[in-house]
Amino acid sequence: MKLEYVLFGFGILFSLAGVGYLAVEYVKYLSEVWKLVALLLTVGMFACLSKYFEDIGW
Amino acid sequence: MRRNLFLYLTLACFFGLIVIFIVDGYMGVYDTVYVTSGERPEKIEADFWLRQGRAAPAGMENSYYISSADRDEKVFFRYEVANRRFSGYTADIEVAVWHNQEKVHDVISQPISIEAFDEGQAEWVIDATELLPEALPPEQSYEYTVIIKRGEIERKIIMRINQRAYPPESPIRPVPVPVPPPPR
Repeated sequence: MKLEYVLFGFGILFSLAGVGYLAVEYVKYLSEVWKLVALLLTVGMFACLSKYFEDIGW
Repeated sequence: MRRNLFLYLTLACFFGLIVIFIVDGYMGVYDTVYVTSGERPEKIEADFWLRQGRAAPAGMENSYYISSADRDEKVFFRYEVANRRFSGYTADIEVAVWHNQEKVHDVISQPISIEAFDEGQAEWVIDATELLPEALPPEQSYEYTVIIKRGEIERKIIMRINQRAYPPESPIRPVPVPVPPPPR
C-alpha cells in the first residue's frame, strides 16, 4: 500500500475526529438554522468526497 | 481541474463546518449558574436555557426547578459569565427573589465588566429562613423564584423550601385555615 494512501486515510480520520469533537462539544449551542446548515454541509462533504474518489477511480 | 473540483468542494464543506461550530457554537456570551443547597451542588449550564427556550411549553421558557432546600439552610449561588468574543462585555446583574408575581427581596445589583475571552462572576447567598412568612406552618412547603437579570437576559430559578418533616413541639399551634361552607 502506498504511503500516500495511508497518509490520506490518517488525514481523513483525524479530520472527521476533529469535526466530531467540535460537534459533540458545541452543537448544543447552535441555533436551529445553523444546525440545519451544518447538517447540509456534512451531507455535501461526504457526497463530494465520494464523487472525488469515484472520479479518481477508487 | 474538474478532477479536483469535488476535492475542493469537500474541503470547503469541511472548513464551513469548522467555522460554524466555532462562530455560532463556541463564540458568544454564555452563563453558568452554580447552586449549592445543603450538601448538594448543582450546575445549570448555558445550553440548558437554550433548550428550555426552544422545547419548553409556553410560559415555562427559561424556568428551572432545582432541588429543594431545607428551612434552616442557606442556598449559595455563583453566576459565571464567559465572554468568548473579541470585544469586551459589560452588563448589569440584578438578582431578586419573587413570590406569586411579587418581588419579595432584592439580593444584589452590580455591574459586570468582562474583557475579551475572559470570565466574570457574581456570588450571593439566600437564607431560606429569612424568606419564609412568619405565619407559615412548619409542615407546609414554600416556593419562590430567584430571577437573575443580565441586561436583557433573564434566568429564573424556582426554589422549593421543604416542609419540616417532624415539626418541633411548640406551645404555639398553627392557626387552622377556615374551610368555607360548600355552595348551595
